[in-house]
Amino acid sequence: MTAATANADDAVLRTEGITKRFGGLTAVDSVDVEVHEGEIVGLIGPNGAGKSTLFNCITGTLTADEGRVTLQGQDVTDWPEYKIARAGLGRMFQETRIFGGMSVRKNLLLAAQEGGADIGGLLRRPDDSLLARTNELLEYVDLGGLAETRAGRLSFGQQKLIEFVMALMSEPELLLMDEPAGGINPSMLENLIEYIRAANDEEEATIFLIEHNMDFVMEIADRIYVLAHGERIAEGTPEEIQNDERVINAYLGRE
Amino acid sequence: MSTESDDNGLLRSVLPPERVDQLFDLCGAHGWKLILASAVVGALPPLFGLREGYMMTVISEMFLFAILALSWDIVGGQTGYPSFGNMAFFGIGAYTGAILLKDFAVSFPLAVVSAGVFATVFAAIIGLIVLRLRGHYFAIATLGVLLAAQQISRNLEITGGASGKILFDVPPGVVFYYFFLGVLVAEIIVVYYLSSTRFGFILNAIRDDEGKATAMGFNTTYYKTAAWMLAALFTGLAGGAYGLFNTFIDPQTAYNGAWNVELIAMALMGGTGTVAGPVIGAFGLHTVIEYVETAFVGWQLVMLGLAVIVTVIGFPKGVVGTLREYANEMDYYERGGMAATDAAADGSGGSDVAASTTDAADSDADTEVTRDE
Repeated sequence: MTAATANADDAVLRTEGITKRFGGLTAVDSVDVEVHEGEIVGLIGPNGAGKSTLFNCITGTLTADEGRVTLQGQDVTDWPEYKIARAGLGRMFQETRIFGGMSVRKNLLLAAQEGGADIGGLLRRPDDSLLARTNELLEYVDLGGLAETRAGRLSFGQQKLIEFVMALMSEPELLLMDEPAGGINPSMLENLIEYIRAANDEEEATIFLIEHNMDFVMEIADRIYVLAHGERIAEGTPEEIQNDERVINAYLGRE
Repeated sequence: MSTESDDNGLLRSVLPPERVDQLFDLCGAHGWKLILASAVVGALPPLFGLREGYMMTVISEMFLFAILALSWDIVGGQTGYPSFGNMAFFGIGAYTGAILLKDFAVSFPLAVVSAGVFATVFAAIIGLIVLRLRGHYFAIATLGVLLAAQQISRNLEITGGASGKILFDVPPGVVFYYFFLGVLVAEIIVVYYLSSTRFGFILNAIRDDEGKATAMGFNTTYYKTAAWMLAALFTGLAGGAYGLFNTFIDPQTAYNGAWNVELIAMALMGGTGTVAGPVIGAFGLHTVIEYVETAFVGWQLVMLGLAVIVTVIGFPKGVVGTLREYANEMDYYERGGMAATDAAADGSGGSDVAASTTDAADSDADTEVTRDE
């Protein structure tokens, strides 16, 4: 795998031989993936295929037993989770996670990386440009009126949007999304697709996402990886994946 | 929604939520002026003749407890780490102050400052260990720290062992009155300011979902320890003066477990995670306890227990928190919550909203929905 592909140099994320075992179970078995700048890459596979575990190994939530994770050319394999996040890895969780006791605006302000972790930044109040950016993003997802509302009061779909906007606020080099379409209604899903596209086009966000909604992932992804039983069984464009025998047998099924 | 308005029918007519909301906005807009005005009012009584006696002591103790409750809340309320060991900082401050004053003839100001510094350093060391624990484990570990500190002071010679230390040359009561008031005002200023900064947001984020905060790039141990040290600084300062104020300390009074429960009750009753809550709670509960202590001798702990039970069941968000919820209950709908949902929803949005307004506040902080992938 070190004989990298032609455009390997612009890989934002690369995993090489990631393996994670839980006792006797090999949840992720020597998986290689690459995500290039500006791409939207999908990760699909049946339940228990190891998708979320792979994500957890990338983010540093779990430590892989074998293999390496490279973020923008930097080996981050043994870094603590917070440090990997600070290096530009954003994450949206499968179960929507925002800070329910804080106002929507504070959630967004917190996500902004500028201000950083130095003492001066920590002890300053958020400046006007940052406040303007929160307004802009909230207007963008039609939640402008809710800036001062306690985030925990919002509906599930709205919380999902807030988590998405928080991810944009942090301007990550790579955004991992774990089932962004999970549990939201069809019309909101259309909005979400539009938002993700726009983030990809306008904000140049590189996105790696796990998804079970096949229409959604086939529509939005440039490339797709398929996992089954911890192993990578296929990689390709949505068309290629839809016609791949192994994928059809393992996951998609026949019509 | 409708049952709620029926329940609160009387309250609504007397005190409509809009009024309360206006009051909060007013306090928010003039926060600094309010703090200044309160400080001035607090400073007045001695200038108008209250210079000694029972009332003097009671008011000084109210300031003292407000310092302790607000300190507890920095970690217990704002950061969501309920500590049963804050009195360890107090005890270390108290012994530092007493030993320096009595054995080393250090001046009162220097002794008090040293007490604060000692408590802070102690917190840094202990914090790096206990702040890795969460929830019940953290609570029990901090209680362990308090009991261990108490036992150590009982066995050491420099602390006077079990019989403690008696202090002489006590300054007049008015000195302590202004000292406790000054520390309290300083602490209110610090906490109030921090709650509007990135540092304050991070503490609240740790309270709501520490895992998410870590995933967003925050080294939470670092922030928790900083908050813990800040709490220890103010608690230690108060402790440093307490030995002289009380003219006597021993392991039981310096590391007082009952006080630790008391100051948690104060923060809870006033409203955790707010600036005004713990202070209001301390003033209110200490007044009640003092009254019960004089009127029904020996019943004050029973009273304290009842107060805690009633608060936890009836007003889990405390006075300030409950009022704020009451003031903001219509806020979500008025500011376009429903409209925004309807625009993007297929009709089920309405019930989503209703569900989230009633229980999202409590559930989303500590519910971990870990579906298998």
